[in-house]
Amino acid sequence: MEERYYAGFMKKRPQFMSSLLETRKRVTVFLVDVVAILYVWLTASYCLTMLFLHGEGVAGLPWWAIIVAVEATALWENLGVSIGMKLLRVRLVAKDSGSPTLVRRLVRFLVWHVSGLPLIGILAMSGGLAWHDRASGLRVVRSEEVSRVRRPLYAQSWFIAVALLVLASIATAMLVTGVNFRAFFSGAGKTARIWAAFLRPDWSILGDGIRLLLVTIFMAFMATFFGVVLAVPLSFAAARNLTGGWIGRPVYFLVRTTMSIIRSIEPIIWAIIFIVWIKVGAFPGVLALFVHSVADLTKLYSERLESIDPGPVEAIRATGATQLQVILHGIVPQIVNPFLSFTLYRWDINVRMATIIGIVGGGGIGERLYQYTSLWSWSKAGTMMLLIMLTVWVMDYGSARLRERLS
Amino acid sequence: MEKTRKRSRSARPHRIWCALGDLKPRAFALLLDWASWGYVAYGVIYLLNHYWYKVHVNYYGTLTVPSWGWLPIVLGTFELAVLGQAAGQSLGLSLFGLKLLTTARDYPRPAARLGRFLWWHVSALSFPIQSVRLVQGKSLLHDGMSGTCMFALKEVKQDIPVRKPRRWYFSFRGLVGIGLIAFTFWVGWLTTKIDLGMLFGRASRSVYLWKDLVRPSFEHFATIDPRVGDTFWGATILGGLIQSIYMALLATLLGGVIALPLSFLGARNIMGFNALGWIVYTVTRAFFNVFRSIESILWGVVFAVWVGFGAFAGVLALTIHTIAALGKLYSEQVESIDPGPLEAIAATGARRWQVVLYGVVPQVVPSFLAFSLYRWDINVRMSTVIALVGGGGIGQILFYYKNAVGLIKNSWNQVGAVVVCIVVVVWALDYISARVRERIT
Repeated sequence: MEERYYAGFMKKRPQFMSSLLETRKRVTVFLVDVVAILYVWLTASYCLTMLFLHGEGVAGLPWWAIIVAVEATALWENLGVSIGMKLLRVRLVAKDSGSPTLVRRLVRFLVWHVSGLPLIGILAMSGGLAWHDRASGLRVVRSEEVSRVRRPLYAQSWFIAVALLVLASIATAMLVTGVNFRAFFSGAGKTARIWAAFLRPDWSILGDGIRLLLVTIFMAFMATFFGVVLAVPLSFAAARNLTGGWIGRPVYFLVRTTMSIIRSIEPIIWAIIFIVWIKVGAFPGVLALFVHSVADLTKLYSERLESIDPGPVEAIRATGATQLQVILHGIVPQIVNPFLSFTLYRWDINVRMATIIGIVGGGGIGERLYQYTSLWSWSKAGTMMLLIMLTVWVMDYGSARLRERLS
Repeated sequence: MEKTRKRSRSARPHRIWCALGDLKPRAFALLLDWASWGYVAYGVIYLLNHYWYKVHVNYYGTLTVPSWGWLPIVLGTFELAVLGQAAGQSLGLSLFGLKLLTTARDYPRPAARLGRFLWWHVSALSFPIQSVRLVQGKSLLHDGMSGTCMFALKEVKQDIPVRKPRRWYFSFRGLVGIGLIAFTFWVGWLTTKIDLGMLFGRASRSVYLWKDLVRPSFEHFATIDPRVGDTFWGATILGGLIQSIYMALLATLLGGVIALPLSFLGARNIMGFNALGWIVYTVTRAFFNVFRSIESILWGVVFAVWVGFGAFAGVLALTIHTIAALGKLYSEQVESIDPGPLEAIAATGARRWQVVLYGVVPQVVPSFLAFSLYRWDINVRMSTVIALVGGGGIGQILFYYKNAVGLIKNSWNQVGAVVVCIVVVVWALDYISARVRERIT
């Protein structure tokens, strides 16, 4: 954590704050471990139920699972390095920063039941020393402060736990998504027709395809254009370093929150809403892409704004320039090129998105492509796919080259 | 590293390659100008169709270029491109960093420019002779006759006479940029049929939609809706969410594992030692590009036929796209590593695979993990809509309710509930993955 100055003369955090932060960190470590143990338990029981009982009985956790998980976590954190400790980079060491003995670890585990669990620990903690820390003579410190011989990865408990987590996740994922290797290998023959037809595209619909492709590219262009127009001013309101005070901060949070909500909804879902609103066609597709672009560009732009060099801004402000002049001469020159390159990148994404937004009726080449695939006219679909591939590839290459030059 | 090796092997490439290398930016600049004029021609025809043909001739028809009309369009745009280049101001020249100057490195007079333009035709018609002259190292006919030459801007930057700098929007780049964007905006507005009247006029009719969407109904959050299906994973919001997350997880893991070895094959600094390596590199990169350009939803169509409808098809569709996308990101990362440790390890006499294992892998592991997490994020978002083509996940229930609008009660409220859940999950994953990525890089 970087050294910060409080109230001008205090070099350290106020003790109350630092112990609160310390508590928060420890609680987070503990929660991460409990959740990890419960997750492995749940997924393992789900997998075993599915594999050996053929899905009979409900895969769930009994109520006492939580007690077991909490006890196991306490034991784990006292005896070794847990996932949470690894992730939040804390270690358990002896008071004299030596290696803790087993007895001390066990003492800490036992006293923890008195002070840690019922959260008396938080109250007892003065300067980060809870009862169980005092009693056992052990300390929780940041792992950077500890120097010790590294054991091989497979002998560290957190690594074994991560491996278990990954294995349980893969097994569960395979069961939940119904992975079916037999279908994968025996079904390959069914697609022979499709590949054969893709290799012999139907060129009679080339003209139509090119026309629709142009519509698609224009859709992406319009969405990006409107997106930039709206995202540039919004990004200034969504940059943490440029917003402050009683008005600025709420506006920052409002814009950020709204944008991240909008961004997490796929353009296809937006297209559905806009199609109900307007009608089927390219226009709702443009709107859907536009809404998503605004949110995405605002995020990219504002992150860029947050990382500008404050030097020129302060220099210009020192000359007595107005806020507008500061933005115009201090900030804008720093961001023009990155903004352009983000915009190109987004146009690229929009072209790719525009090719599929037609599936729900958003216009462009995707609409026709989806019609052809629904009718199983694969050779016509192949023509469309070739056109899409070519366009996306050219756009991707061109925009990458341009972005290279801009940066 | 690879470059120095190449140079030490052969001192200088054959003069044909030199001549072609000098010619390459000129050819690309001309092609770009031609394409941009062709685009303008397309736009003009489109506008003619929209403002003249549809209004005055035939509303239901479309203005089509007669078969004899293509030749003048193709040739005319080419002539315009050449004229622009002779005039010394064109998009291609500006983008490829070329400058038309006299051999004395001064701005040519208008007569010389005109001469260059006219001689260019002779030179283009006598292409075989010109290519021989090029190989001989002589200048092209139109270069020689007009006393002008294309220079790379960075070579002559110091020599060219300084002109008064203009505001960027009066400079050639600015004017053309603004002009092209405005033109594209005009044509795009008409092409995509943007109708603000419709947007605002029907806003009141969409009020009921918003009203229902913001009052989500979590009736079937964890209880199975028999109309959608009979399984927990397919017919409940919670099940669908879990399935989507696991689909994304499996696709990312599978894609990452496959992309990992491929990414080394697609990295220039690993493969670019000999002809075979170069071929493998090009093929791998082409594979990445082709497969990345097709969205996973389209792959979903193919895999729904292959393995049947369901989450597995979705997983495979996401996997294909993930392989290509991660492969590209990974191999770019491999290309940007620090060559120092590699050389050090190679100097100990290690084999190629040992160099890769001990020199490359430790450098790229954190960023590979970060990219994979990022990709998982994207995959979760994609997996919410892959059900559109039968790919399973939360989209199944979403699109069921959306399609059942008007058939079942409060379906928009149900859609709203699904969307709210998607937002929460995507948001949470986004946050967690951003935090974890911060930690590991």
